[in-house]
Amino acid sequence: MSRNAQSGVDAVSLEIFRSSLTAIAEEMGAVLTRSSYSPNIKERRDFSCALFDIHGRMVAQAAHIPVHLGSMPDSVAIALSEFDTFAPGDVIAINDPFMGGTHLPDITLVSPIFVGNEHFGFAANRAHHADVGGMSAGSMPVATEIYQEGLIIPPIKLWEAGEPNRAALALILRNVRTPDERRGDLAAQVAANRTADRRIAELVERAGRASVDEHIDELINYAERMTRSAIEQIPDGTYEFTDYLDDDGVKMEPIAIKATVIIEGTELTVDFTGSDPEARGSINAVASVAKSAVYYIIRCLMPDEAPSNAGTFAPVTVVAPSGTVVNARPPRPVAGGNVETSQRITDAVFGAMAKALPEIIPAASQGTMNNVTAGGVDPRNGQPFAYYETMGGGMGARKGLNGLSGVHVHMSNTLNTPVEAFEFAYPMRITEYRLRDGSGGDGAAQGGDGLVRELSFQVETEVTLLSERRRIQPWGVQGGEPGQTGENILIRDGVQTQLGGKKTISVEPGDRLSIQSPGGGGWGEKG
Amino acid sequence: MLVGVDTGGTFTDFVVQDGTSLRVHKVLSTPDDPARAILQGLDELGVTAARALIHGSTVATNAVLEQKGARTALITTAGFRDVLEIGRQTRPTLYDLRVERDPPLVPRDLRLEITERLNERGSVLIGLDQDSVEAAVTAVREAGVESVAVCLLFSFANPEHERIVTEQLRQAGLSASASHEVLPEFREYERTSTVVLNAYVAPLMDRYLGNLERSIPSETPFRIMQSNGGSISAAVARREAARTLLSGPAAGAVGAAYVAEASGFRQTISFDMGGTSSDVALIDGNLTETTDGRVGGHPCRLPMIDIHTVGAGGGSIAWFDAGGALKVGPYSAGASPGPAAYGNGGTEATVTDANVVLGRLSADDFLGGGMNLDVEAARSVVGKVAEQLGSSLEDAALGIARVTNANMEAAIRVISVEKGYDPRGFSLVAFGGAGPLHSCELAAAMRIPRVLVPAIPGVLSAYGMLAADLRKDYVQTIMLAPDADTSGLKPLFEDLSGQGRREILAEGVDEARVDVEQYLDMRYLGQSYELTVPFTGSITDATLEFHAAHHVRFGYSDPDEPVQIVNARVKAFGRAERPEIPLTPYDQESIATPDRTRDVVFAGADGAETRETGIFERENLVAGARINGPAIITQYDTTTVLPPGWQALVDQAGILVAEPVEGEDTDVS
Repeated sequence: MSRNAQSGVDAVSLEIFRSSLTAIAEEMGAVLTRSSYSPNIKERRDFSCALFDIHGRMVAQAAHIPVHLGSMPDSVAIALSEFDTFAPGDVIAINDPFMGGTHLPDITLVSPIFVGNEHFGFAANRAHHADVGGMSAGSMPVATEIYQEGLIIPPIKLWEAGEPNRAALALILRNVRTPDERRGDLAAQVAANRTADRRIAELVERAGRASVDEHIDELINYAERMTRSAIEQIPDGTYEFTDYLDDDGVKMEPIAIKATVIIEGTELTVDFTGSDPEARGSINAVASVAKSAVYYIIRCLMPDEAPSNAGTFAPVTVVAPSGTVVNARPPRPVAGGNVETSQRITDAVFGAMAKALPEIIPAASQGTMNNVTAGGVDPRNGQPFAYYETMGGGMGARKGLNGLSGVHVHMSNTLNTPVEAFEFAYPMRITEYRLRDGSGGDGAAQGGDGLVRELSFQVETEVTLLSERRRIQPWGVQGGEPGQTGENILIRDGVQTQLGGKKTISVEPGDRLSIQSPGGGGWGEKG
Repeated sequence: MLVGVDTGGTFTDFVVQDGTSLRVHKVLSTPDDPARAILQGLDELGVTAARALIHGSTVATNAVLEQKGARTALITTAGFRDVLEIGRQTRPTLYDLRVERDPPLVPRDLRLEITERLNERGSVLIGLDQDSVEAAVTAVREAGVESVAVCLLFSFANPEHERIVTEQLRQAGLSASASHEVLPEFREYERTSTVVLNAYVAPLMDRYLGNLERSIPSETPFRIMQSNGGSISAAVARREAARTLLSGPAAGAVGAAYVAEASGFRQTISFDMGGTSSDVALIDGNLTETTDGRVGGHPCRLPMIDIHTVGAGGGSIAWFDAGGALKVGPYSAGASPGPAAYGNGGTEATVTDANVVLGRLSADDFLGGGMNLDVEAARSVVGKVAEQLGSSLEDAALGIARVTNANMEAAIRVISVEKGYDPRGFSLVAFGGAGPLHSCELAAAMRIPRVLVPAIPGVLSAYGMLAADLRKDYVQTIMLAPDADTSGLKPLFEDLSGQGRREILAEGVDEARVDVEQYLDMRYLGQSYELTVPFTGSITDATLEFHAAHHVRFGYSDPDEPVQIVNARVKAFGRAERPEIPLTPYDQESIATPDRTRDVVFAGADGAETRETGIFERENLVAGARINGPAIITQYDTTTVLPPGWQALVDQAGILVAEPVEGEDTDVS
């Protein structure tokens, strides 16, 4: 083929390398899903896998969950800055949100990839563990300091040249509620990274190191071209929107997230200046979460086949002032930043973009993941249990198209736990699981409906709810009505109590908890 | 005489085996009434009575994909009628602002609830409320539905409530599918979806097969292919219609496995490349099965051959994305206008056009010379791609072929490396209209050491039906804790095996040909995916098998970790009297002489190279014939490309075995 004189890359080999590298990241995901223990990872697929070059540039990311888009590169960057040397078989573990992490349950493992003796790059995967200790089972508490949220793992070599760091492993496992499950999940994560090691070696053997490096450079340029071409379609200008979190769970006051979107030719800047200061409660986001939310929106404006790598987001600048709710500092609690605030950041940016692209941007979706954690002792085997799940809700309406009902929106797409799996696994029952009629906002196109999931408890259980859009409705656009707010209702002895969005409660046998997720906003005036 | 009939989108294929004689026939399909093409073909072949007629039908699949099944109702436990619609609460794609989901096959107003509730062990928490049952039955009758699915929570642990409801529906004259009959396995959404699929297609299959049964000779046993690679009597298929949903591709894989085995190859990957899509499956001694299948967006948990389909075939269109990379598919020129080379006004370059430009497909031998190819039109559309690539016409065509092969490679990786199998230990069985065109270059790129092209690659699905065993599957969720009492397993397996044996015998199979296999689905405690391992009576042995299988599949195992038994499975077989593959022994190999030569383009070290290439008619090749690449082997509906550096041998079973010449670097990717 008549190749470009300067390089051995052409439109054909580019596509072939893209396919090969993506396949490796996908295979890592297949290994992780199949061999992990936590339902969060296996059943709900709350994880991401990616490959990086030796400079820490992301080369390929499998299409797993959006909230990890911007944060995986930060983990690798921290690993690179903390360690001078890497050996085959090293595995660096991180969950510190202030050092390349997102929130504590997300444990990231970064492994150097070696081809023979040559350091090629890194494989990284991040998985949401069902528990990492802290003040409440499931490690998603309503807290005021990060120390309450669980064990913090700064970047450490958990395996060194293939040998496990037994002391560190023992320390981690002694500080979590379900150590056997954690050990199994970590082993699965290591196996996923090893897969990348083998596959990259095969690719280098097949194509040669120089050619692989050259194609990685060009793939990154290619992704950047794709993004620039997408941004070019957006009219130049400055667009603003402010959306609000209900509260931080400590003080019942709304928290503003202000997004200013600036489009200039093929470049896009999102500036969060003007957002409220970091909060006392656990809804703070770290900067990498804010980046992920912006990157997610960019990805939505691009064609399906666009790759996710370091080039994809090169034309995008995110300004997240330190000390605000979108870029909190230690020791602020951050458990909800990843799951709740990330959704509101998305809403704020979409709200601004709707002014630039009124035909394309949908109404606000449920804007929450409705996090429920529960823990106690299962009387059937005397063992402690830790349950964590998130719930779908209404999707915002699109022009000429209703929002979907009962689905995860924007930053998450994790599976539910089947009722029949749930009741085998936990001493709880689900007594109702249905669409929440009429919760979607009216409009020319209707917002999707939320869900109702009612849990009934058989033993004393600690339950923590971390949910949003319980007070402020998901907005409609172009004249559409807002969706209904969600509700969390405790039913005890026939008496219903509204719990609000963020709460830890001790429930008794016989109590029931009805979680009702918000509906999506409507699009356009109802004719 | 055995007859296999495969209804495809364009052609209905027939294979008739009589002793060692094999006849192949094709008739244009009649999608409005598929039976017409079948009866026409049987008539043209002069088939009056046969030992068996086995049919692979797309009636059920199309009904689901086109949402044209029976008007169906669903009855569930109170509080759970929306499970079918909520599914797993996910959206099908992550980054699509206009994402949509396939609507549920039962609309909300036809999903009815009854008051009852069991716990996970099947104990009654809330007794069956008879009034709610009667109200539901009345509502279903008044709604005028044709079929009803029943799926109550934990009915696999105790089917009593579901049985009562189902009986009342049937007494009311309604066709009912019950989840404890179709799939007594836990996970309510997947079970509900499966039983709804069955209810949705059963009335259609009942009518379609009923009509066919009346039209074919009554003394001929009439069997239907199932997605699991086995066949079953039409009478059973009319009731258990969901078992036939992916029967066509399954039959192709069965055919591939059978012909490869006759030539001594038991580790193979079947590669069926058609006009708009391609199917791949892995055969490691046996065909790989899955219970994770989907039809359209709807999960079907019945065992099926694990076939991965990719949206790229001969008609797939080559295009450039916004970043300037060359893509092939999933857009297709379809049957109309088809590739530009078909001369029906196609204006975009397809894979077929690229193969015409490369000289690999030629009007002389395309469909036996019965169809003209417009070479100029193909050169013109591929020329547009070349212009954008800044390359020669031939390099552009090679580029399209390489990107196509990369799509195929990704599909093969899903069924091999992602499941713990190394494709370098397998042979690629290429069939379908376009499979043998691409197979050697695909194999080279994946370091697959060998390509097998069957004698009748264009009708392998119909042929596979002749080789398929009769088969029935049974499952029961038991969910035992690692230290639980397992004494209940023996009677459970006796029950399931007994039922399997009885039902296979009822198909008219000789006792000696009945075979029952027992399996356990196991997992490490706390995991939520199971692996199926053989069970021969010893849980210790099954546990060892599980650790080994886990190691193969996931790269690790832990003998100290407690293992849980989740499901019991039984497969009952009526072993087929498989069609004889006549062997033609030969004393020594002979170098075959080409029937003619033409210029064909291949990838060389510095881009496209045109080589004078021998063209061989497949029907002129005898056992022991050896061909050195570059060569093109043509037959009625398939063309095989043997690149430079490859050689092929027609073995004594008539299969074309292609391998790289030792020491040659054949990596053309």
